[in-house]
Amino acid sequence: MTAPADPRLEAETPRPQRRPGPSVLRSPLMVVGLTVLGLLVFVAVFAPLLATHDPKVVTGAALERPSARHWLGTNDSGRDLFSQLVYGTRVSLLVGSVGPSLALLGAVMIGVLPALIGGRVDRLSNRFVVFLLALPGLPLLVLIGALVGQNQWAIIIVIATGGIAPNARILRAKALSLREAGFISAARGFGGGPFYVLRRHFVPGLGPLILVGFVTWASTAIALEAGLAFLGLGDPSGVSWGLMLERGLSQRSLYFSPMWTWWVLPPGIAITIAVMSFTFVGVALEPTFNPRWLRSS
Amino acid sequence: MASYLVTVFVLITLNFWLPRAMPGDPIETLISRGSSSFVYGEESVAKLEEYYGLNGSVASQYGQYLARLARGDLGRSITTNQPVRDEVARALPWTILLIGGSLVLSTLIGLTLGVRSGWRRDRPVDRAMMTGLLAVREFPPQLFASLLVFVVAVKLEWLPLFGAETPFSSSFGPIDRVVDIGRHALLPMLVLTCGLMVGQYLVMRAGMVTELGSDYLLLGRAKGLHQRRLKYRYAARNALLPVVSLSAVEIGFAVTANVIVERVFSYPGLGQLMVGSIGTRDYPALQGAFLAFSLGIVTVNALADVLYRRLDPRTTA
Repeated sequence: MTAPADPRLEAETPRPQRRPGPSVLRSPLMVVGLTVLGLLVFVAVFAPLLATHDPKVVTGAALERPSARHWLGTNDSGRDLFSQLVYGTRVSLLVGSVGPSLALLGAVMIGVLPALIGGRVDRLSNRFVVFLLALPGLPLLVLIGALVGQNQWAIIIVIATGGIAPNARILRAKALSLREAGFISAARGFGGGPFYVLRRHFVPGLGPLILVGFVTWASTAIALEAGLAFLGLGDPSGVSWGLMLERGLSQRSLYFSPMWTWWVLPPGIAITIAVMSFTFVGVALEPTFNPRWLRSS
Repeated sequence: MASYLVTVFVLITLNFWLPRAMPGDPIETLISRGSSSFVYGEESVAKLEEYYGLNGSVASQYGQYLARLARGDLGRSITTNQPVRDEVARALPWTILLIGGSLVLSTLIGLTLGVRSGWRRDRPVDRAMMTGLLAVREFPPQLFASLLVFVVAVKLEWLPLFGAETPFSSSFGPIDRVVDIGRHALLPMLVLTCGLMVGQYLVMRAGMVTELGSDYLLLGRAKGLHQRRLKYRYAARNALLPVVSLSAVEIGFAVTANVIVERVFSYPGLGQLMVGSIGTRDYPALQGAFLAFSLGIVTVNALADVLYRRLDPRTTA
């Protein structure tokens, strides 16, 4: 780092005027969403310290009630449910970050880049996107998931591919309208090179949409992972909220004993909280980035 | 229309090709040491390959696959050894009942709420509905369904726990049977409806809000037309179009939620057939259910397309 600048000098140089107020960051939805997400990240990072047992090791009798030793009891194989809940945060956050990252990377590749190149490339890739959108989402996910076998990473990648087409369509539309926009022709006319235009106009123009798409797909991806794991496509030796639900709901006597409240309810609520926190952030971002929404509400 | 046919063809091809693109040999799994159907000998391997249509080159297998498909032959289930076509035919009506019923219900409820909410934009009613329904959408269907089972079926004992009908109910009279099926379908349908109606509500509300500023409404009001007539006959009608184009998203969502809901309620529909065949590695059944689901989705999308064109004369050009 360089030496700190003289504060008087700093005060004299006029700072570039920022755009007025990051008021999005102060909207209640955003505050709640980000706080919860922060908490989840904290739990995921410090899972080994927060968990009372190793979630994969048998540490008690089967189907124990909640006690001082096992806060949420144990499952049918004697593994600690509270620790599974804590470690499950890791899987959901992993899915919620890797899934949408891959999805949006793919969306930029087949939505934005072809739109910038234009011509036949764009027409072909658009055909492809429309075709992808027409595919039956979940049945295809289940078929592929069943065929690749119970593998955590395969599931994440399969979920990510599902997010490519919808995001590509939105981004392409925006990229096309930007390409035709007056200020971009003007920038070109004044001698702006392709990289200059890309950096100064396309990136700021598309960035917000990419951000909103990321947040939206993150919540979808978490819900999907929980759903697929629940359908029996998860890695049975792994630890995730969806798997906890799956095992819990497979117990025949589940509803006729109180274990429903400590086995099924906690992971179910955890999934809801994780999904909702991303949605809150997404809804809070939307009005600032989508002027149509502003006008209509 | 042609694009839908292409999609169907690609789906059929994917259905053939995906299992073959994956590592592992089904016959080897079937006869491996330790499997319950352990057999040995080149002869039995050849017999099994022939039985499951896995002999010959990939191209000839593909040809045979298409020919059998054209005759409606989906192969035999590995677990039950029954024709997959029969299994699909048995499961399909239940799934259509659940999805169809909840689509109708959610359209009725979602649109009504959307019209009201949009008409009273930014009033407390609108705010409350918006927040409430957005929260409903985020509720994972497996938790919601399980909650309903716990409260309504187990604690209150109002409705049956699972399944689509009471065992041996074929001896019931026709009215009792309908009631029985309805009672079994009520909870799963409720879960699906709650998930589906939110999308329709949001789109309808947005449509109403856009229509609110229109000149024709102002004119209508100046003419002294009745509020209700303005609201439903004029504004709602124009706001309806985007809802139809939403159906592609809706049917995708309905299928996803349906598979999960059927599992929670052990409802004997297509979803259960598909999910059940994952555990048993019953690929013919899995593929049969996949095909049925896919064709259903493509058909609904094509129908929505036709409907949209009918409703909006501008798109016929």
